Amino acid sequence: MRTRTNWLVMILIALGTVLILFPLYMTVTIALKSPEDMLTSVFGLPKELHFENFANAIAMTNFFNALGNSAMVTTATVVLTLLTNSLVAYAIARNMNRKFFKGLYFYFISAMFIPFPIIMLPLVKLTAGLNMTNLVGLTILHTVYALAFNVFVYVGYIKSIPVALEEAARVDGTSTWGTFWRIIFPIMAPINATVGILICLSTYNDFLLPLIIISDTDSYTLPLVQYIFQGQFNTDFNLAFASYLMAMLPMIIIYLFAQKWIINGITQGAVK
Amino acid sequence: MKFGKGLAASVSILLICMLTACGGSDTSGRVQIEFFQNKPEAKGSFDALIQKFNESQSDITVVQVNPPDAETVLKTRVVKDDIPDIVGMGATDTYSLLAQSGIFMDMTGSPLLSRIDETYVQMLKDVSGMEEVIGIPYSTNANGVMYNKDIFSKLGLSVPRTWDELLATAKKAKDGGTIPFYFTYKDDWQTVLPFNALASNLEGIEFYLDRREGKVTFADRYREIAEKQLELMEYGHGDNFGKNYADGNRAFARGESAMYIQGTWAISEIRKANPEAPIGFFPLPTGDDPESNKLISGVDTLLAVAEESKHKEEAMRFIEFLLEPENSKQYISEQTLFSTVQGVTQDDPAVAELLPYLERGQVVDFADHYIPAAVQLNSIIQSFLQNRDIDAYLKKLDTEWDKVADRR
Amino acid sequence: MGQGCGQALDVEEQTALTNAIPMNNEEDSSMNKRLMPYYLMTVPAVVLFFVFLTLPALQGVYYSFTNWNGFGDHYDFIGIKNYVNLFKDGNVGNAYWFTFKFAVVVTILINILSLLIAMGLNAKIKARNFFRGIYFLPNILSVLIVGYIFNYLFSNVFTIWGQNLGIGWLSTNLLGSEQHAWIGIVIVAVWQGVAYNTILYLAGLQTIPGTLYEASNLDGANRWQEFWKITFPLIAPFFTINMVLAMKNSLMVFDQIVALTNGGPGRATQSISHLIYTGGFEGGEFAYQSANSVIYFILIAAVSIAQIRFLQRREAEM
Repeated sequence: MRTRTNWLVMILIALGTVLILFPLYMTVTIALKSPEDMLTSVFGLPKELHFENFANAIAMTNFFNALGNSAMVTTATVVLTLLTNSLVAYAIARNMNRKFFKGLYFYFISAMFIPFPIIMLPLVKLTAGLNMTNLVGLTILHTVYALAFNVFVYVGYIKSIPVALEEAARVDGTSTWGTFWRIIFPIMAPINATVGILICLSTYNDFLLPLIIISDTDSYTLPLVQYIFQGQFNTDFNLAFASYLMAMLPMIIIYLFAQKWIINGITQGAVK
Repeated sequence: MKFGKGLAASVSILLICMLTACGGSDTSGRVQIEFFQNKPEAKGSFDALIQKFNESQSDITVVQVNPPDAETVLKTRVVKDDIPDIVGMGATDTYSLLAQSGIFMDMTGSPLLSRIDETYVQMLKDVSGMEEVIGIPYSTNANGVMYNKDIFSKLGLSVPRTWDELLATAKKAKDGGTIPFYFTYKDDWQTVLPFNALASNLEGIEFYLDRREGKVTFADRYREIAEKQLELMEYGHGDNFGKNYADGNRAFARGESAMYIQGTWAISEIRKANPEAPIGFFPLPTGDDPESNKLISGVDTLLAVAEESKHKEEAMRFIEFLLEPENSKQYISEQTLFSTVQGVTQDDPAVAELLPYLERGQVVDFADHYIPAAVQLNSIIQSFLQNRDIDAYLKKLDTEWDKVADRR
Repeated sequence: MGQGCGQALDVEEQTALTNAIPMNNEEDSSMNKRLMPYYLMTVPAVVLFFVFLTLPALQGVYYSFTNWNGFGDHYDFIGIKNYVNLFKDGNVGNAYWFTFKFAVVVTILINILSLLIAMGLNAKIKARNFFRGIYFLPNILSVLIVGYIFNYLFSNVFTIWGQNLGIGWLSTNLLGSEQHAWIGIVIVAVWQGVAYNTILYLAGLQTIPGTLYEASNLDGANRWQEFWKITFPLIAPFFTINMVLAMKNSLMVFDQIVALTNGGPGRATQSISHLIYTGGFEGGEFAYQSANSVIYFILIAAVSIAQIRFLQRREAEM
């Protein structure tokens, strides 16, 4: 039996999307207008498309350099996180009966409750002392801080994988490492997708950590660049919005293509 | 297994790329000097000078860094022990704190100082409270009231010379349907500008020396300053706390207000929005006697070299370059500031009315340069202008001052 | 090792081992050998975790008993003076008040709105995936940049509406008002925060079998009863996690503050994170703000634990 479409709800939902899309509509139109267009109409579509705003923003903010930095840090963090965090979680999940590993589990996940600002001040001194005020340092820190949440998610998932599979492999003489890479890691693909998406989003969009860690202008990430250029942006909104749009665009494009996959991944993590 | 190894390999390649990207800046064989400065307005002007310098040198490349909220970023860098080779900043309390902590090179006796007007060297000593000269004053600014000459002549207004005349002028502008003052108080630092004029003139800088010793309080002596600043608020526009500095520059450039309490540093920004803006400038009159009314002027940018810089000599070469009369002139002309270099004059008609004050030495430093940054004067004034509670405001100034003093 | 817990598994492991390596009386060392890879898997992570998380936290506690400004060579131990001063400091109290007020309001609004949207998306509508995609979009955007965009909208767009429509409060910049600026930040945080929670609620709603509702229809239950009797109890675990997540995120609010108000007007919208950052670095109060961090941690931990306990008890009761 098919029920009819609930038009009232559908209309409300459609109206709600206006609230979501309006700021984005403004971003796109302002990015394409000239300051003169803004004086005549703030809301309307641009009369002619001023793509030079994008060219100017690229030149001014050294956009491709920042994009490269963001892409490198994000990719390296995602890959490193998937490889290391899953491994740690595996060791813990399979030894939860031992005090040491059980202790580790709680040690890691308790960090979920540590607000970052608490360690911010000493961390700045520490990373400077270790020569980590660069993209490599940023990648390592992102990966380490991801452990807290990821151990929690991974352990839950690994527990649901039957031990029998590994025992069979062990009988065949496969080492623990081999068992993990050959048997467990592939099985973990769905949860890896979830973790990968979340880490990708949070690393790419992170502002506070790069703000306090990165010193060298050549290593600035995209959000940091938007912050650094506020002084110049304030006098030219069209330029500013062109820059904002470009900084958000890579994620939006990925989202357009992988939307269903991304949402399913996140849903998976929640339902577990 | 293969999958894992492949990933591991790609990660190591990525990390190596990132490492080499970081260390790859010196491939040209040039020494890279980082020049950190706090004025977004001046980024373009410094960029031009830096390009000229870099082209003239075979072994040095100067790179400019200009973040917003620069004092915080600078202090973060200091905490990291990663101090930029050259720091350009105002002679503020933050400067004083950094100078005292010994992170900047002592310039006492440097031959470069002989080119500088002695008044400004003394100003640096006063702010830092030190005998040594830490840094070289490069440019000075003035803080007062900008006015739109066209609107003034249309409404038949003349430049006010006393406090009462100022209010009368504002009232006439209001009655004539023009916004008297364009306040830009979404940015808290903007609320300090009238405060500086009123406090430095009515109570003087000596107040702070006495305050440090606990001989006086804000509650005793700052009531008139508070009242007068509040009175000015009657002559704003509809959204005094909703507009920021950039909004104000644009609005004043478009002739939306008769007056604009601002520093000379804003002129270059206003001209970006309207090159033909008819700008005039007078000191904010604070009392009844025009003769005793002083212009607020302080060191806008001083150049300091990090004590731990590996390239002090190269850094000094860049500073020497900036101090050359031709380059100093270029900088102050573009930025409508005043040069500390002897013989370099500011010829911009917009600030012509201020020159007599500077020549006569009828100037006084910014009051807030003597208030510890941790007091967060900006936000206290911004808050006071909204809740309009004078008693609470003065009490807050005293308690915050004592609290910070207690912590130091 | 083992020490009596998880006996069953140990026996299994040992049989597996004795099959592979026929050696007696060597159980301890062979056990160690077998566990070795697991230690190798975790120890590097533990070390890094300790160095970059626990150590800074401990250092913060250490500095909180000094008067260090973060960069000078010299500092003294001053005991609990920083902590005493904290409790006398109106600015600190103000930041806590703002942060908690903000967090509670944002958490409640996000959860109500995202549950409503999720129920809407779960209803019989067309183009469900399309709408779901749009509602999730804000989650992938940078918080800082979204803040900058809204900062512009607040000062230059909403004010135009206010002026055109003659609505007084809308014709001035909301962010410029000491009393109302926090609402502006709430709006931005909710606009963006609803996305993630909606997806989680939607996942929860989709686990509820439709047959349950059909049964309740026969009983003559109305929509309201249906929600409280069936829907809500079944998505209670999602409610718990959404509350905790939203609360935790909004207690750490920083990016929005930087982009929208920088803590102003006055200190009306200064969050604890923002106070620690600006005070700790700019104000030269490194040690003092370290003490503030310690207090903040204790509060956050207490709130999180209390919240989880409370919500889990409710879940159990349902």
